[in-house]
Amino acid sequence: MSPGIAGVGAYAPRTRLPGDAIAAAWGQFKAGGIEETAVPGPDEDVLTMGYEAARNALDAAGVAGAEVGAVGFATTNPPVEEEALLPRFGEMLAVPETAETTVYTGSLTAGVRALRGAARAVDAVGPALVVASDAPRGELDEALGQGAGAGAAAFVVTPDGPATLSAFASVSEPAAGTRFRQRGSDRAEGLGITTFDRQAFESTVTGALDGLAFDADSVDAAAVQATDGRQPYRVTGALPVSGERLKAHATVHTLGDTGAASVPLSIASALADDASGVVGVAAGSGATAEAVAIDVAGSVPATLALDGETDVDYAHYLRQRGEITGGAPQGGGGYVSLPAWHRSLAQRYRLEAGRCPECGRLNMPPRGACSHCQALVEYDPVELARTGTVEASSIISQGGAPPEFAELQGRSGEYATGIVAFDGPEGGSASLPALFVEVDPEDVAVGDEVEMTIRQIYTQEGVTRYGFKVRPVA
Amino acid sequence: MRDAYLIGAGQSDFGAFPEESYRSLFRTAFEEMTESVPNGISRDDIDEAYIGMVSIGGRQIGLPGPAVTEHVGLDGVPCVRLENACAASGYSVRQAIQAVRSGMADVALAGGTEVMNDLGRDRARYWLGVSGEMEWERMAGTTFSGVFAQIASAHMAEYGTTSEQLSHVAVKSHEHGAKNPHAHLGYECSLDDAESAPTIAAPLGLYHCCPMSDGAASVLIASEDVVDDYTDDPIRVAGAGASSGGIGLFERDSYTSIPATKQAAESAYDEAGVGPADLDFAEVHDCFSIAEIVAYEDLGFCEPGEGGDFAERGAPKLGGELPVNTSGGLKSKGHPIGATGASQMVEVFEQLSGHAGERQVADATVGLAHNIGGSGGAATVHILEREGSA
Repeated sequence: MSPGIAGVGAYAPRTRLPGDAIAAAWGQFKAGGIEETAVPGPDEDVLTMGYEAARNALDAAGVAGAEVGAVGFATTNPPVEEEALLPRFGEMLAVPETAETTVYTGSLTAGVRALRGAARAVDAVGPALVVASDAPRGELDEALGQGAGAGAAAFVVTPDGPATLSAFASVSEPAAGTRFRQRGSDRAEGLGITTFDRQAFESTVTGALDGLAFDADSVDAAAVQATDGRQPYRVTGALPVSGERLKAHATVHTLGDTGAASVPLSIASALADDASGVVGVAAGSGATAEAVAIDVAGSVPATLALDGETDVDYAHYLRQRGEITGGAPQGGGGYVSLPAWHRSLAQRYRLEAGRCPECGRLNMPPRGACSHCQALVEYDPVELARTGTVEASSIISQGGAPPEFAELQGRSGEYATGIVAFDGPEGGSASLPALFVEVDPEDVAVGDEVEMTIRQIYTQEGVTRYGFKVRPVA
Repeated sequence: MRDAYLIGAGQSDFGAFPEESYRSLFRTAFEEMTESVPNGISRDDIDEAYIGMVSIGGRQIGLPGPAVTEHVGLDGVPCVRLENACAASGYSVRQAIQAVRSGMADVALAGGTEVMNDLGRDRARYWLGVSGEMEWERMAGTTFSGVFAQIASAHMAEYGTTSEQLSHVAVKSHEHGAKNPHAHLGYECSLDDAESAPTIAAPLGLYHCCPMSDGAASVLIASEDVVDDYTDDPIRVAGAGASSGGIGLFERDSYTSIPATKQAAESAYDEAGVGPADLDFAEVHDCFSIAEIVAYEDLGFCEPGEGGDFAERGAPKLGGELPVNTSGGLKSKGHPIGATGASQMVEVFEQLSGHAGERQVADATVGLAHNIGGSGGAATVHILEREGSA
């Protein structure tokens, strides 16, 4: 048996910034070959985008989080520089606490390295979840900043998945300075030594391809690192497919530079399009290139959510990314202690309610006496459906948010909140307050169907709290 | 059980007073209260004191009760601060009634005070939300007005209640409040004013929300054994009801009704042996216009779902079927959180004493006061009756 991909998921934020808008704002658009970039929502980061992609991949593969034995998470922009990220990520997906977890970071090649790690681990630990999620940033007037996009791809790797991870190859050479992020900075930069940068890219990519074992006749798709819309085509000559085939799965044109998720997103796109064979090459400054060959024996179930819905203008883009918002106001905010938040993660991440053993009705959160029959009981945990119905709603006008939500509102504008009833697995429902995302607040009405996702709730004392929010059913 | 009587009541002006403190405002209420006792009262007659205060702004979070009573020279009188959000001093009144009925006190003071207008915008935004359910409701980005807006959305969806009906409540309350010299927003407004005002939390507009006020109020409750020393026209506490539960709206089975109000009302009506039809007027908790409409229904002034129509047809106006919030209510008179419940009793006292001036309900004999905390996690309902008139 050879390890292979058994399910594919992908996600990109729904809001897009057209390149034309950047050109209008700056007089020119420096990130060539990009039509538009995906803009993370005000409450999105690589963890929440990774959750969306992982949810899609697990559902597509028909694998439960509880079956996952290893998680590999690739990003160049972890939300914190030090602290384990994956215990929270695993909890969001109900991955067992004994699963092996590895964060791959520090280079654009992290996504392919994560696939390699999964291929090597899967025989020993069972299904592995590989997530590549990134949202690079750069200076707003530089090509890296103007081309910066966002997106996430996820793969469920099993010992016998239909898309066999047949070979990996890597090459490195000590060529630094093309693209790096200084300690303490949230922006990538490069010295812009054009010829040197291109040579490092081309020689490592070509070298990795040279060392990669694959059957050129069966390969009909390729995935190449794309910082902008021109870069991947510089190595077309070394690929077993045409430039046109390369373009078919080059997500850079509509998502922008997705960093460590660039090659994984193209692989996801190729697998969703029933490619028969894929080669992928990720390359990063430093410099390294990591290549992967994938032989596709049968169709791979895939759920991609990569379409844009809303174009934003440049001012909204600046707001949404927090470039021009004021941060948390003085005066304090609502405070839920971290231990209290920790105790409620099963509810906030997975809508785990409690069924009252006395009256059989659902309680959410499951705490204290039953809110229906007032019996003091130990609840039987049940996971609610991830879709629900709006029971009440209101719009929190601009400037009216509680102070701890002021930064979010600065970025998002007025937002809707309401109460949503989620169905239980065996009848009944439980209701919870929820904040709405990805919807015009004016369009929220009692009776609407919504689905949960996970977003940042707020960041207080340097610690970001994540929890569920709702959006209209796609 | 001994009967308890309302023998005096007073309040400060409600409004924004940079020159006043929570203690100086209380002094004004205290002095007006003692002067209102028909046959007079000595400060030394007060056996117990209960002070409602949320301590908005964080001023004196510990021991604000004694801080207030010592300011008016009530050293030596047992005093406790009561906190039940906006129902703080509704509960002060209840505690005073309990002290008197139990026999522990012959005269008990029930007051409340709050200062809300000396805070910067951001600090005020924090403090305004502290009575909501913190871990879930607040963490969904919901504000206090947002919760009542959600109630409005559910009421509109279930019963077809309209924004204009909410505005009718506001117009009525301002019409009443314009006749109240203590009112914070003591002016009249038109239906168009209310309908065209900026949105605060859709579907609620500015005129569907009460103001943040500074103010204090205080009342005196006396036992049947001593009431004759203080008045020749006793006003009896005929029914005292209270209830609590469901501090988060989402935890309740219905979003268009407040269970604590219904339970408190049932107790009060039962004890008083009266029903809604026997009332001459009512002061109800209208932090938002939708809260007043829900109160009409929960207190039995009309059927569930008919609160909007009740307002629209003018039933709660002075001279209408059942005048509601003749003081102007929280909407026009104002809402200094800890003082509101006691202030409602001030209006009840003035109406039943025949001292309500332009707002006087003719032959007022039986009145009701309804006070809720938060979005309805606690409620009190008191029914008072002028004796010798039935």
